[in-house]
Amino acid sequence: MSSTIEVPKSALDRLKGLRGEGHADGIFTSDFSVNEFLLVRKAGFEPIGLCVGSCIYHLGFQLAGWSSNQEMTVLSQAMYEARELAMSRMRAEAADMGADGVVGVRLTVKRLEWDTKILEFVAIGTGVVHAKGHPGFKGPQGQPFTSDLSGQDFWTLLHAGYRPLEMVMGSCVYHVAHQGLFKSLANSGRNVELTNFSQALYDAREIAMERMQEEASKAGAEGVVGVDLHEGSHNWQPHVIEFFAVGTAVLPITTEQDASSIPDPQLVLSVNS
Amino acid sequence: MASYESDPAVAQARSAKWEAALARNTLPDFVEQRLKDAGERKIPWLSTMTAAELLVTKSHGMRPIATVSGTCWYSYGYSWTEGHGAGWAAALARIRSEALACGANAVVDVHMRTIARNESASMDFTLLGTAVKFDHLPASSDPVIATVSALEFVRLIEMGIVPCGLAVGAQYDWLTYSSDWITISTASVYNQPLTLVGAFWERVRRAAHAELKRNAAKQGTGLLAHTHFGQLLKIEPDDDSQPSRILGRHIVIGTVVDTRRNSAVPHHIRTVVDMRDDESPLNTPTDKRPNTYDSNEQEGGI
Repeated sequence: MSSTIEVPKSALDRLKGLRGEGHADGIFTSDFSVNEFLLVRKAGFEPIGLCVGSCIYHLGFQLAGWSSNQEMTVLSQAMYEARELAMSRMRAEAADMGADGVVGVRLTVKRLEWDTKILEFVAIGTGVVHAKGHPGFKGPQGQPFTSDLSGQDFWTLLHAGYRPLEMVMGSCVYHVAHQGLFKSLANSGRNVELTNFSQALYDAREIAMERMQEEASKAGAEGVVGVDLHEGSHNWQPHVIEFFAVGTAVLPITTEQDASSIPDPQLVLSVNS
Repeated sequence: MASYESDPAVAQARSAKWEAALARNTLPDFVEQRLKDAGERKIPWLSTMTAAELLVTKSHGMRPIATVSGTCWYSYGYSWTEGHGAGWAAALARIRSEALACGANAVVDVHMRTIARNESASMDFTLLGTAVKFDHLPASSDPVIATVSALEFVRLIEMGIVPCGLAVGAQYDWLTYSSDWITISTASVYNQPLTLVGAFWERVRRAAHAELKRNAAKQGTGLLAHTHFGQLLKIEPDDDSQPSRILGRHIVIGTVVDTRRNSAVPHHIRTVVDMRDDESPLNTPTDKRPNTYDSNEQEGGI
């Protein structure tokens, strides 16, 4: 999906200034904590700049049958497209500053107080380059890789012999059917599974996950690490729930590393707690 | 015991000295003297450090001198956003002059503080930290202000990274009536990105980041931004003939570091798994960021 907003020249200038000759005047910005900064450096990368993309999005409208389990496809598409726009703008900022990838991406959604149909989506992370200029860390199609792993997890992932490719996601907004009055009456006083509720939640999660998995396949990933599958209701009516799956698609650095070459984590028992 | 008597004449003289000092961007003579005495070890040192921090400070050839601070209660007459930038800059200049007065090389464990008093359109901006001196170094003519704890400070300087200051980028702008956000947002049933508001918001944010970078570049070579605060507010006009407007404001604050690219990280890092099931120092999250702003990401959850 392409961005409808041109990156302004002043912004490009700012972004390009980072990789000036000899780095005499260049300054990097990042939102790393001290520990993340050190670990990213230890992993052989240098931060070069904060990358941000945002999208203010108007959600369309869709009616759902009171008693039907159904996906709210208009909302699913909206939630996906808005995030994808924010992510692609962030990736464009990263590409403009010559980053190999973006680490520690946080994806947030905020409501605007004056209109419940408008949501603000923000993707923010730190653009990094390989310190020795190794070309092999870019994401799909030579674009910067994106990852929601923290600096700590980035170091650990590389040590496990994997590199991040891109953040993959899947969204499914689902309307869970209301129970009819007769059904409620029939269930009163009995222990019984509410199968239509089970089915709705099950199906919605499944759809979100399938969509994410499909993205990972397209990116050529071996797997997805740090999958987060969670629910949200962005001021919608109570029976409308978003299931959102997100994670970092990864690929072995060369061929799969022999497990014996990975140092075993040491077991410790802290006694000062 | 110290005197708790109050002599109106003394209090008045003290107050006059504060007034004169703040106007001249200097310190009152009694503060200057106290800090100088602390620097010369004539009076006990004061430190915000924990015992563990005192230990690493000692083991790395540093000693605490004094708790230093910079306070500025600032009224943002015409701009809340720029007022925040100016308030922190004033506090930073003041804590620096206190550090200078006690002959410090650095101030560590610098925290941003504010007292919520709801005085209209004003706020106090306070920085509070511990001035330290390296035994083998002469006093610095430009002490660094490190918004990290002493533990982190030591680890950073070992790796050739000097946390040296605090930079703020704060910008705001107005967007007036546009069909883009009024008609579409109220009437449309379709999904669509609001490009005008979106572009406006990106502009505000980019301007804030550009300012942050300019301020950071004066102090060092890199920035670890720990605080992001952004608001888009719709402001209704007092008078119906005027269109409503959107106010966008964005503040980013970070710790400035001075480091050469590709500096080595001398420590070996070992991976460990904590065998404790209940709370442990290894798995208890702590928020050590020197923060005064509520992060406005509470709705954050993706």
